[in-house]
Amino acid sequence: MLLGYIFEVVKNRTVAEQYLTAVFKEVPSQIDEFLKKDVSPFCLLQIMTRRQLTDFFRSQDTNYDQQPKSDKVSTVENKFIRQMSPEQQLVFSGAYWQGKTITRLATELNKPEEAIRKILKDCFTIIRSIN
Amino acid sequence: MKIKAYIESGVLETFVLGSASDQEVQELLYMKAKHPEVNEALQQLEQDMEKLAGNIAMTPPPHLWNRIEEEINALIPRPEVTPARYTERNYESDTRTNGKDDQYIEVEGSSTHIRVHKSWRWVLAAIFVLGKIFLAFAIYFYLENRQAQEQLKELKTELKQHVK
Repeated sequence: MLLGYIFEVVKNRTVAEQYLTAVFKEVPSQIDEFLKKDVSPFCLLQIMTRRQLTDFFRSQDTNYDQQPKSDKVSTVENKFIRQMSPEQQLVFSGAYWQGKTITRLATELNKPEEAIRKILKDCFTIIRSIN
Repeated sequence: MKIKAYIESGVLETFVLGSASDQEVQELLYMKAKHPEVNEALQQLEQDMEKLAGNIAMTPPPHLWNRIEEEINALIPRPEVTPARYTERNYESDTRTNGKDDQYIEVEGSSTHIRVHKSWRWVLAAIFVLGKIFLAFAIYFYLENRQAQEQLKELKTELKQHVK
């Protein structure tokens, strides 16, 4: 699952494998976090992955900013994303695959942060509704 | 009512996507510990995340786990090895350059005494006793020989007198 997520971010299998290796190398130093109660190991791994991908996200920012708004809609094809509106795709992809903060997304879409959070919530409602 | 509004605000979704600010994270961890409803909603969102990731899952190549295992094993701390002190050696005369002899370590003892096996005690005692016996025989044969020489000299003198 984690390799699939990284691949969707970096779009290169070899680079994705390198990132996956880097994430698992970090696991021994974070072992206390994994042993905590009520913690999803996958979500913890995903947070660590996003930390590893920080530099990659930054490097993509320059190219991304030069694209027209219509091209910024998610290129990831799956049944959940297809059910989202273009705006929802933009917000969800920005947060999930491009590592953007809520503040950044709010600025880009010229909307208040509360509205961005609401859009994200609606995205999860869509994900939950699809089996 | 306030908890429900907090859950509905979208902060939890922001958190699981890793887009929350540090302040939001701290607030959420506090709310999660204090209110079971928040914890429950968060667990539901984590399941949603796993569902989403499961849809884009890829099978890792078979060699990848071995590579990860090797890299993690390389991180395991090992006891530090203190390097041996360098001493200059005469490499021209040193023929022990390879093979089993490489296992020897040159050691110069600081003690002026040597230690031998206990079984050598009887050997040394036997050598000492045999030495004494040989010495006694040597003295005996020396005296015998001297006495014989004197007797021979006396006989020669007697013979000379008889001849005259």
